Amino acid sequence: MAESFSFDGKDLEVIRKILSRYPHKEAAILPVLWYAQDKFGHTSPDVQHLVARTLDVPEAHIHGVVSFYTQFYEKPMGRHVLDVCTCLSCQVCGGYDMLSYIEDKLGIRAGETTPDGQFSLQSVECLGACGYAPMLQVTNKQYVNHLTPEKIDRLIDDLKAGIEPSFESMPPKQHEKDNRLS
Amino acid sequence: MPEIFIDYQRFEFEQPGKVLQFMLDAGLDLPFFCYHPCLSIPANCRQCVVKAGMPVLNREKGTFELDDKGERIIRYFPKLMTACSLDLTDGMVIHTHHSDPLVKQAQADNLEFILINHPLDCPICDQAGECPLQILTYKYGPEGSRFEHKKVHKPKAFRLGPRVVLDAERCINCTRCVRFTDEISKSHQLTIVSRGDKNYPLTAHGQEFDDPYSLNTVDICPVGALTSADFRFKARVWEMNQTPGIDITNGKGCNTYLWTRDNLVLRITPRQNDHVNSHWMPDSGRLAYQRFNENRVHRPHIKLDGNDQVRTSWNNAILTLREQLEKTEASEILAIGSPHAPVEDNYAFRKFFKMHGVSEFFFVPDIRPGSGDGFLLSDDQTPNTNGVRLLDFKETTCKNLSSKIQGDKYKLIVLLDDSLFDRPDWPAIDPGNSYFTVWATNHTPTTAAAHLVIPVTCAAEHAASYVNVDGRIQRTVAAKETRYTNRRLNLEMSMGRLDHYGTQFDNWVDEKNRIDCIPAWEFFKKLDAEARFDWNSSREVLNEISRTLPVFEGVSYERMDTLLGVPLSISRNTPVDQKKTIEPKP
Repeated sequence: MAESFSFDGKDLEVIRKILSRYPHKEAAILPVLWYAQDKFGHTSPDVQHLVARTLDVPEAHIHGVVSFYTQFYEKPMGRHVLDVCTCLSCQVCGGYDMLSYIEDKLGIRAGETTPDGQFSLQSVECLGACGYAPMLQVTNKQYVNHLTPEKIDRLIDDLKAGIEPSFESMPPKQHEKDNRLS
Repeated sequence: MPEIFIDYQRFEFEQPGKVLQFMLDAGLDLPFFCYHPCLSIPANCRQCVVKAGMPVLNREKGTFELDDKGERIIRYFPKLMTACSLDLTDGMVIHTHHSDPLVKQAQADNLEFILINHPLDCPICDQAGECPLQILTYKYGPEGSRFEHKKVHKPKAFRLGPRVVLDAERCINCTRCVRFTDEISKSHQLTIVSRGDKNYPLTAHGQEFDDPYSLNTVDICPVGALTSADFRFKARVWEMNQTPGIDITNGKGCNTYLWTRDNLVLRITPRQNDHVNSHWMPDSGRLAYQRFNENRVHRPHIKLDGNDQVRTSWNNAILTLREQLEKTEASEILAIGSPHAPVEDNYAFRKFFKMHGVSEFFFVPDIRPGSGDGFLLSDDQTPNTNGVRLLDFKETTCKNLSSKIQGDKYKLIVLLDDSLFDRPDWPAIDPGNSYFTVWATNHTPTTAAAHLVIPVTCAAEHAASYVNVDGRIQRTVAAKETRYTNRRLNLEMSMGRLDHYGTQFDNWVDEKNRIDCIPAWEFFKKLDAEARFDWNSSREVLNEISRTLPVFEGVSYERMDTLLGVPLSISRNTPVDQKKTIEPKP
C-alpha cells in the first residue's frame, strides 16, 4: 500500500449527510463512492477499503459495485477519460470505428492511459444515448454525440488546450445537482 | 382449505409458501438453479418459470366468473412467472412444461442462454455426474447450441481461498455462494464482480476466501465453478459410495456423507439434518478423511524390549493383556475412557473393567473455550463428551491424570482411543513404569509410548453412536471395510458401481486400504476369557445400553435412523454428577 487514503472531518460530515438521506447504508454506497472518486480521482482497492470501513459495509460488496460500473475507476486514470460506447446501437452506427480511430490517434489501446497522463480510453457499454450514436462521454461528464473523425480531432485538440466540450444533451452529474449537499 | 391447480391437478395447501417449494415438497418436477430453501430468493436464474393465472372474481356477486362450459375464467399473468418467488394463492392456476408448450420452450431457451458461455468441459469437470446444469440440460435443454461465436473467457483454476478453487467460465451467476456468505456464514467475503457476460464471484481486492464454512459453497454451487482444492480431480462421483456418517472432529456432530472408493474416504459432505446442522458443515470436519485413511494402526503393536514396537498377532495381544490383568490388582488399574470413542466402545470398556473389579473410570474432555463460534463449531473438540459423561466416567483434567500416572499407585494403564499426549495442556510425562495399553485408530505420540496398542475401528469403519454437545445421540454407518468386514455380506454398507462390478483382483483395488482392526467392544468380547459378553454387533451393544441405562431408554439404531438422531433428556448445564446415571448391571 504505497499511498494511504483517508476522509477528514469535512468529508465525514458530508458522508453523514448522505447517510441521513437513505433508509439503509447500502443505499449510500453509490453517492459515497462518487464523493470518494471526486476527492481521490479513482476508486482503487485502497479507496474501496476506506469506503467499506467508513460505511461499515462488506468490502467485497463495494468491490462488486465498483466493478459493475465503468464510471468508477479501479485504477488512477488520465486527466480526461474518453468512454466510447460500443454497445449495440453505437456498434451498428460505427462505435468500434470511432474507438479504433481514437486508439490510433492517441497510440493507446482501450483500457490504457497515454504516457503523458492526459487521456485514458475505455470501451463501455450503453450510456443511454442510442439516438445520438456513435457517441462518447468525457470523464463522466459531457456526452459528445454523432462522432466523426473530424469531431474527435476537434475534441482532442480542445481538451489538450483545456477547453471542455459544451453539453449537448447530458444533464450534469446527479450528485452535483443536489443542493442539500452544498 | 385453500387450493391450487398445477397442471390441471388440484392440491390443497395449509401454510403460505412459494410455488416452487410447494411443488418440490409434493414431488413434482421443475428445473431451477439459484433457489435454495435456506437462502433468500433472488429469482435470477429464471429457470423455474411457469405460466400462472388467477380466476376472475366478480366483485359484485363475490363469485368466480364462469365461461360457457361452466369453468372458471382464468386471467393469466402477462409474462411467465418464476415459481420460486411466486406466492401460493387460493385458486391459483399453474402450468408447467407438462401442460404448456410456452413454458417448455422458455425452459429450453433459458438453458441455451445459460450455456452460451459455459465451457461444456464436463469430461474434465469435477461436478459432472452431480451437476444440476448437466442434469437439467439433459432433461429440459435444447439439443444443441446455435451460438457460433467465441465464448467469453474468464479466470480458470483461480484460488479463491485456501480450500476453494474457482473456474469463472463455468459459473452461471446464480449467486448461491454470495448469498451463503452473506446470510449463513455471515463472513460477507464474496460478491459478483463486473457485469453482463463478464461477471463471476470474487472476494474483495487482496482478500482470501478463508471463511471456516467456505466449502459449503462448493456443495451448493449448481455447476463446477467452485470446487474443493482438496478433492479436485480425485475421483468421479459415480465411482464412489456414499454412506451416512457423523462429523467426529467436533462436539456438534454435524451429519455427513462419507464418499469412499476402494475403502478410502475421499471427501466428506454435509447431510441435511434440520435438528443439528441444516445443510451445512464446517470445513474442518471435511478434513477428517485424512485421519480415516492415513497413519492408521494396522494390526496390534507390542513393545518387546527397548522402545521399538513390533506388529504382533491378535492372539498374542489378547494373551499379553490377560497376563497383565492377572498379575495386577484391580486397584492398580487406571482406566481412562475416551470422548473420541463411541458410546458402545466406552460402555464395553467400562463393563469389562468393572467386571474385573475396577471401580473408578476417568476421562479427559477436550473443551477449548473460545474455539467455537456458536454455529456449527463447538468449543468441544470431541464428538462424544456427553456420551462418556452419561456412562458415569469421571471428568478429570490432563494435569490430574498425569499426576496419577506418574505416581506409583497404578501398575496398568488402559486408555481407550484418545491421544492425550497431543493435548495442548498435557504435561510432558510418559507412563513411567506402569504397563500402558492403548486402543487407538491412528499412530500418535500416545501410541508410540504404549507397551501394547490395539487397533480399533474409526468412525468410518463402524456403526456406532455419539452424543453431541446438545445431548442428541446419532450414529454412523460403516463406510470403509476392514480386514474383517465385507460390504457384500454386511447389508448395511453401501455398494458403489465399482464394488458391484469390480473384483478384488482389479488393478485399482488396494488391499492395504482395508485396515486390520476391530471395534473396541468386539475386542473386549474376545478378551474376556469367560466369554460373558454375547454381543454380535454394535446394535446389540446399544440395545443392552438402552435396556440397562434409563437415560438411554428407547434409543435404538432404528429410531436414530428414522428420526435422524434421538435427543436424550439431559440438560447441557446440569453438572455431571447430578445427571441421571445408573451403574450398568454386571
